[in-house]
Amino acid sequence: MPTPPRPSRRSFLSAVGVGGAAALTGTALSACGGSSGSSGGSGSDSLTMVLWGADAEVAAFQKIADAFEAEDGTKVELQVQPYSQVLSKVDSLLQSNNAPDLFRVSYTDIGRYTGVGALADISSALPSGFADSFNPALWAAVQADGKPVGVPHHTDCSAVLYHQDHFAQAGISDVPTTLDAAWTWDEWTQVLEQLKGANLPGYPTAVNWQAAGAFRWLSFLSQAGGSTYGPGGPTGGEVTIDSDAGLKAMTYAQGLYTKGLHDPSLLVQAANYPDDVFPTGKLSTIYAGDFLLPALSDSVKDFEFGATFLPKDSAAATDLGGNAVVVPENAPNAEKAAEFAAFLASKQNMIDFCQATTVLPTRRDVEADELEYAVRPDLMPVFVAQATTIPEPLVETCTSATFSGVNQALQQELEKCFSSGQSPQETVDKLAADIANLKA
Amino acid sequence: MLGSATALEGAPGATKARKRHRGEALVGLTFVTPAVIVFSVFMFAPLVMTLYYSFTRYSGFGDAQPNGGANYAQIASDPLFWRSLGNTGIFALATVPLSLAGGLGLALLLNRAMPARALLRALFYVPVVVSAAAAGIVARWIFNENFGVANRILTDLGLPAVPWQTSGPAAMVSIIIMSIWSTLGFVMVVYLAGLQGIPSEVYEASALDGASRWRTTRSITWPILAPTTFFLLVYLIISTFQVFDLVIVMTGGGPANATTLLVNYAYTEGFEQQRKGYAAALGVVLYVIVLVLTLVQWRAGKRRDLA
Repeated sequence: MPTPPRPSRRSFLSAVGVGGAAALTGTALSACGGSSGSSGGSGSDSLTMVLWGADAEVAAFQKIADAFEAEDGTKVELQVQPYSQVLSKVDSLLQSNNAPDLFRVSYTDIGRYTGVGALADISSALPSGFADSFNPALWAAVQADGKPVGVPHHTDCSAVLYHQDHFAQAGISDVPTTLDAAWTWDEWTQVLEQLKGANLPGYPTAVNWQAAGAFRWLSFLSQAGGSTYGPGGPTGGEVTIDSDAGLKAMTYAQGLYTKGLHDPSLLVQAANYPDDVFPTGKLSTIYAGDFLLPALSDSVKDFEFGATFLPKDSAAATDLGGNAVVVPENAPNAEKAAEFAAFLASKQNMIDFCQATTVLPTRRDVEADELEYAVRPDLMPVFVAQATTIPEPLVETCTSATFSGVNQALQQELEKCFSSGQSPQETVDKLAADIANLKA
Repeated sequence: MLGSATALEGAPGATKARKRHRGEALVGLTFVTPAVIVFSVFMFAPLVMTLYYSFTRYSGFGDAQPNGGANYAQIASDPLFWRSLGNTGIFALATVPLSLAGGLGLALLLNRAMPARALLRALFYVPVVVSAAAAGIVARWIFNENFGVANRILTDLGLPAVPWQTSGPAAMVSIIIMSIWSTLGFVMVVYLAGLQGIPSEVYEASALDGASRWRTTRSITWPILAPTTFFLLVYLIISTFQVFDLVIVMTGGGPANATTLLVNYAYTEGFEQQRKGYAAALGVVLYVIVLVLTLVQWRAGKRRDLA
């Protein structure tokens, strides 16, 4: 019997090269799929919940899960994911019919699930009058076709954190302590100029609009008296982002960069965030959410920092932050999951969670300013007052089904405006066209 | 002849041979079956599904709606696609030759007897096993234009600071540097394996002929390493078309999309915008580009072998 010819090293490497092309390219196509993860299914006496969270948040969730198990006998397994991967993880679980019983979702992402009917109606598991206990705008955010699909777990908002030594060195002593006294845009510019003139290390400020935070520019728009849509909101209203107020807000935001007041490296598409840089002392002020206080309290070691309100123009306004907990349509144990969601959002559990993690309650029967926050309780009154300035049209826009498209348009156009010199007029015009296309 | 062949087939020896062949075929099939199953489930089926979804409008929820070639038509007029394709091309053009040259240089250097050779080889290989995400986080601080180590070194040397985060070309250079850093060790190891397969007699003969070191490298080492180079070329091109995590962690695709590569763009469309059909079409385009590049190199390699 003839011996088959042995492949030479040369032919072997050639074959591997060509074969590898198909194999590796195939991997490239599937690489962005994220991991399908382990089974999201659960038995009747246990629930799974996918979430992300800082250490304090995960600990607070675990405490509530333990309390639920003690009370109801149902174990809740927390599957903690990095924030950057949680959406693709949840999507892959839902789409592979391997859904968790619950998942945590930001208000700005919830529209992508309510818009496609991916969440379960949990109204039958909620006590009567449950809805009346919540802030109406945030309760509306967890509705799909008029039915509740989860609970608005907490909210948060941005305010300004400042380096106290830098303020002292720049001679800034009169820092607003009430919402009414918040600096106007012009006054804020003067403060930043003063910081710049004091030859401090780094830059006077940085806004938290990186990556998925591009929508935070909408609070500038609201401060100038504008809105993304006219009457009728995201579903029936005209796009009004290119109004005079829109142009004014864009011009002001661009000016922060062109005047050298904003750290130029912290653009919209940047991979790092102002709260990464603030602890190094290279930023005198940052726009930051209250949920960052526990982490910043640990990482800021060399100076004291305070908080004040976002600057205002014709109105005071901040962004919508915070998260809901929702039940997927194909949850293995939707009934019990709904009970846990209601348990999470019960009065005492909400108080405990907000106090431990420095976020704000969504229940109307919990007074945010009476909570005993575990970290920097001295700064929380600023955020509590600032949260009263989240405009309702902004909530409607941020929780709409097309919001991810709005946010992507903002990511693209703000970046061009801030980094490439695209004019504010062209920027708002392009934004208006892109957002109108989403509606079409 | 035919008659004798028929007669042979009927002979007891031929039956035995046929049985033996069948047995060998069965053994062969048993060996390849696991690979075929794995490749079918994890490679071929996803490829076919990707192709199908590329002709649909699909959010990932509900049913995919066939939309003909609308996704491909949109790709053709999508400025972000062309931008990310251009970025990917520039990235590959810079990364592949520099990684090959650097890896070959290191391999030639560390193929000689020298002190701590094993340690040096291991040190150069370490970046290969470091996660790209972890390396990206460190690199993000190194290349921070306000207080990163890179600019501090440049200014200490009397050179101007580089706007690594606010200038598109500079940001691309920082990604390229990190990519080469993480690939160099792998290229070096593969070339080292190739170098050790070259018989020493060939070098002895060239030495007897009085060939210089450069001449030996150019006329003996390099041609003999051609299949290794071909393998690395294909591997590196495919790898560069797959780079994703480094960009996400280091630059986020900015500034102004200057470092957005094709896979990043496909990810954004598929998982952030929930346009799975469009992302699948981007994936198919990427697949075709890599396949064509590979086939061109393969044919070029064959022609060179025949010459």
